[in-house]
Amino acid sequence: MASSARRFDDGTFVGYARQHVFVTVFGVAVPLLVFACFIGYPILYTIYLSFFEWNGMAPQKKFVGFANYAYLFQDKYFYIALINNAKWLVVSLVFPVSLGFLIAYVMKARLVFAPSLLRTIVFFPVTMSLIAVGLMFLLILNPVFGAFDTLLRSVGLGFLVHEWFGDYRIALYTLAVISGWAFTGMPMIFYFAGLGDVPKETFDAARIEGAGHWRMIRSVALPQLRPVTAIIVMLTLFESLRAFDLIAMLTKGAPFGMTNVLGYLVYMESFWNSRFGYGAALSVVILVIAGSLAAVLLGKVLKGAFDV
Amino acid sequence: MSDMAINPAGRGRLLAVLPKLAATALMLVLAAVWLGPLLLIVMTSIKSNAEFLAGPFALPKSPTIQPYIDVWFGLGFGTLLRNSLIYATAGSALAVTLALVPAFALSRMNVPGRKWIFGLLLTGLMLPQQTVLIPLYDTLRTFHLLDTKIGLIIVHGVYGMPLQVLILRGFMTTIPPEIEKAAYVEGATDFQVFWKVILPLSVPGILVGYTLNFIAIWKEFVFGLVFLNSEDNFPVTVGMLKLNSDRYLAVFNLPAAGLVISQLPIVILFILTYRQISGGNLSGAVKG
Repeated sequence: MASSARRFDDGTFVGYARQHVFVTVFGVAVPLLVFACFIGYPILYTIYLSFFEWNGMAPQKKFVGFANYAYLFQDKYFYIALINNAKWLVVSLVFPVSLGFLIAYVMKARLVFAPSLLRTIVFFPVTMSLIAVGLMFLLILNPVFGAFDTLLRSVGLGFLVHEWFGDYRIALYTLAVISGWAFTGMPMIFYFAGLGDVPKETFDAARIEGAGHWRMIRSVALPQLRPVTAIIVMLTLFESLRAFDLIAMLTKGAPFGMTNVLGYLVYMESFWNSRFGYGAALSVVILVIAGSLAAVLLGKVLKGAFDV
Repeated sequence: MSDMAINPAGRGRLLAVLPKLAATALMLVLAAVWLGPLLLIVMTSIKSNAEFLAGPFALPKSPTIQPYIDVWFGLGFGTLLRNSLIYATAGSALAVTLALVPAFALSRMNVPGRKWIFGLLLTGLMLPQQTVLIPLYDTLRTFHLLDTKIGLIIVHGVYGMPLQVLILRGFMTTIPPEIEKAAYVEGATDFQVFWKVILPLSVPGILVGYTLNFIAIWKEFVFGLVFLNSEDNFPVTVGMLKLNSDRYLAVFNLPAAGLVISQLPIVILFILTYRQISGGNLSGAVKG
């Protein structure tokens, strides 16, 4: 909660600004100006550009109305990327988030030895660049020399060996799981902190009523952690819409665009195919998706979590 | 945080031990899944070409640092590391500097509409960067900042600001209001309260924010890829793209060594600051 010792102002912004010049200039005007120049203006410019045809170089941009959007909605690669984003999101919500919760709970319930060691190990990849993570799994998942397939063969599961990045049916899932591996530490830390904030009495009361771990998770931990879950879902959502690095490093959308996601398609169309107008239209679609999902989440679940 | 444990109702000895055994087994598997790849990579990076062919699980018999030397000069890691260091150091400094007074204003002052200002700044956190690449590219080109270090530092600083406002505001909120009340009674101005009271008390929060931003810029890839052209300006992430090529993937010890080099500065930072950055500071900031 904000607090100020002085309340000379008359409640309006102008009255306040006169009384507090320093705070108004450097605390409000400067950041809003920076925001407007580098975040607000680019968003508006992207929307503007989506109505033009432009190769990124020519001084003249050609106005084409909604042609970019019309093209977009019959572009096969757009739909592939859109569906891939959805798959990526589902994998990200199921694998790292639930596992992160499980690890946090198991550590908090003191069910394992050396809990802080496990926490450190799982959190470490959060600090790694996805380029490095991608390279690591490129080596590990190599079908000939890679450790994973070697392990599969040695335990008699050789039939599971795949071209993990080359098989169009699984390449996207390989990427999403790798991204989940690198991300699990995030939900884990959030849930760990969240569980620490749940009053001890709540768990004690459940125990007296005879709750086991399963009931403890379902009836106490998860309901208490709903705001934390909402924040994690938001984070995961935006992470999955940002998916880019692993694809650029490992598959570049191949095979046949089957590992393309919207965030990478924008880059390809703009900076490789020089179709900046079309790239902008794709960007607007991403913005609309991100914005509407954020609005739904903020409105419904997150009430109060971001309260100032 | 370790004094609290979740204790379910006991149901006899065996049933009490069973979940513990299952959990420990599960955690061992998880530890292997998370630690295994890292260990294998470090192991591969110190193998000679001949030893690499013995298989991924064969222990290195005569460890060598030759792969490190080869990949260091092959990829020019000296320049790449220096560049990443410049971007991370300067970009984070800019982000924190931009965020300090706003965090003060939004946490300790009754700025009208502060809720809206905060919410607006936070949208910068949620924005997928790919959607603003084209306008930023265009803007940087207009100001002749494309393919310059300054240009990338500015972009990193600006895009780091929202998270810094979130973290620093959360931190400043925890400072008791009595402290600045005393200063105001003595006739201090807003600036004096900020500079002499709040800022010194916020140093731990600033360090956490700076560290997180440093790591974020070290990891960053999209901006570096799009806004830079010359290898002299590449950060580590962009320079490392080359490791995914036939030239480097013939034997895995070179890319493995490159991977270790690229993460080493972060590993050191991680060891030095692990308690601070993983202590739930982020979630604390969100709850504010």
